[in-house]
Amino acid sequence: MFMNTGLFEPGKTKTERKFVQQAVKQSQRLDGRKSGESRNVEITFGGEYGSVIVALGETKVMAQVTCDMGTPTTSRPNEGKLQLFVTLAGVSYLDSVQKTHDKRSLTLNSLLERTFRTSRCVDLESLCVASELHVWCIRVDVNVLNHDGNLYDASTIAVLAALMHFRRPDVTFTDGELRTYTEKERDMIPLLFLHYPVSVTYCIYTSNFQPFVDPTLLEENCADSTIILSFNSYQELCTLNAGGTVPTDVRTIMQCARSAANRCKAMVTFVRKALDLDEQQRLQGSTRKYTGMLGLMAKSSQKLSFRTLMKGEQKQEQQQQHKSEDMDIEAEARPSAKLEECVAENVENDQPAQEEDLRMDASGWLPQEAEPEPIIDLTKQGPGKPKRKRNKGNKKKQPQSS
Amino acid sequence: MNIPGKTEKVANDKLREMQCEFNPLSRCDGSVMYCQGATVVISAVLGPIEVKTQNLSIDGSYLECNYRPKAGLPQVKERIREAAVRDVLELALLSEAYPRSKMSLQIQELEDRGSIDACALNSACLAMLIGGLPLKCSFAAVHCIINDQGEYVLDPDQRETVHQRASFTFAFDSLEGNLLLVQTKGSFKIAEFNDVESLCRSASAEIFRFYRNNIANYHCRRPEGQKTSEDNMET
Repeated sequence: MFMNTGLFEPGKTKTERKFVQQAVKQSQRLDGRKSGESRNVEITFGGEYGSVIVALGETKVMAQVTCDMGTPTTSRPNEGKLQLFVTLAGVSYLDSVQKTHDKRSLTLNSLLERTFRTSRCVDLESLCVASELHVWCIRVDVNVLNHDGNLYDASTIAVLAALMHFRRPDVTFTDGELRTYTEKERDMIPLLFLHYPVSVTYCIYTSNFQPFVDPTLLEENCADSTIILSFNSYQELCTLNAGGTVPTDVRTIMQCARSAANRCKAMVTFVRKALDLDEQQRLQGSTRKYTGMLGLMAKSSQKLSFRTLMKGEQKQEQQQQHKSEDMDIEAEARPSAKLEECVAENVENDQPAQEEDLRMDASGWLPQEAEPEPIIDLTKQGPGKPKRKRNKGNKKKQPQSS
Repeated sequence: MNIPGKTEKVANDKLREMQCEFNPLSRCDGSVMYCQGATVVISAVLGPIEVKTQNLSIDGSYLECNYRPKAGLPQVKERIREAAVRDVLELALLSEAYPRSKMSLQIQELEDRGSIDACALNSACLAMLIGGLPLKCSFAAVHCIINDQGEYVLDPDQRETVHQRASFTFAFDSLEGNLLLVQTKGSFKIAEFNDVESLCRSASAEIFRFYRNNIANYHCRRPEGQKTSEDNMET
């Protein structure tokens, strides 16, 4: 009787797909961004420690960190626990009768698990109070408020910011007695980090060899394959998630990886700056009202946004771009048999210098062979060894095909 | 508490400052971010939409109402809040308008700094209004406590609720000011109850005025009793 219009997602129909593919072919995006341009990121901190809302364009994700005492697992008796929970239900209306829901929540969950738990970014040993008896259990709840594409980046930024913002109460363990101090008695303690990972998402289409960073929901649903890369601030790869149907060559992925590494580094710097500003505001609290989540309202004057906070640094980047512009043209004119048309178009369309430039910029930091291993076989994930062999084969083939 | 310093104290018989933003979310029919003081909730409505056969009713629409806490899964406390919102909404919703359908309301707590029950109810009403779902009447909820000195504190901050003797939440409809919800906790005398009720009733008028002004503003009409300079120029 009723069409579920509210639940119907953009990018699921053939016409929409066709339209997006055509736009992509001309390296155009609906919101006027260039292929290597991200949406603005805004962070709002709540009144409590460890409560953060991240807005990536229209996508909004809330992360809340809580902690309590628990017992460690027997296999790791001197390590605290870090648990991540993702909720798609609620105001985002993503849980209702949708086929894609399961896949989406699973992907998001596994991405967060790998980015934050498997990469061991939080120093869990520092969360141990008494070995085999008492450890801190850190729980991160990720609530999706609105989904307009790129839930992955928004959630990783939110989780990282929430973990960095979080403070736990001090605790002592003497003579078998556990004592927790309130904030008035002793200062709260921030978590210790080993590194700071953030992810960057790219969409790849059959009609254009160029990856499109930070897709909207329409672009994401129309994409032929999606690549998610997590890097930490030291530009080390933490997670790589690649899926879809486009045969992606090593170069594309390397290109993604290099620009992602830079983006992640900038993002971590931004989160740090935002945290500093938040701390300053808290300290000023006696003279001025601390707003907390009220900062979300449109009227509020001070917003911690990526564009405003990183203005100075982006200028520096641009200067670097100018230096290496000559090299760009070389890189841009990379011959590719099937995609010659696209390349020609791209040159005309005055390609974003940024991305190409990044390719040259950071060419030193990744060994050329180490990276492509897990990537090429996008369709199926076989067992480790045979896959490697296949990959090597692919690598040899590629120069011939291109 | 982590909020440093003190937010400016509001007089005991005044509501804290209310603010709202309409349609901050893009996936639903109507949504509102509503704050009262530092308490912030976000509500979203979707409807009328398809209903599962098990919930289908032929003489009215099914109302789904969910409240999500900031962290963790909904516990008993949240379920009670959810039930209160559902009870009031079922009274106010004109469900006969869309039989065999579902109206869905989701409330997400963003920050709880006192009188979250009343905030959730008010945001639910605003979301229904902005989402264009049929209501018989709008409603407003007010929270009030009696502190240990016997003073009535209207719309208390979380700090003030630590020393409470009794706590009340009332919801009133907009037509005749009928009571839609009464929630009480603690010990009090009947006279005190009556006092608090009339206090809350007068405060609810302010909330209704807030609704009217904001919705008029959103739909690009001047709030009542205000004349802009442009208007004066024209005339």
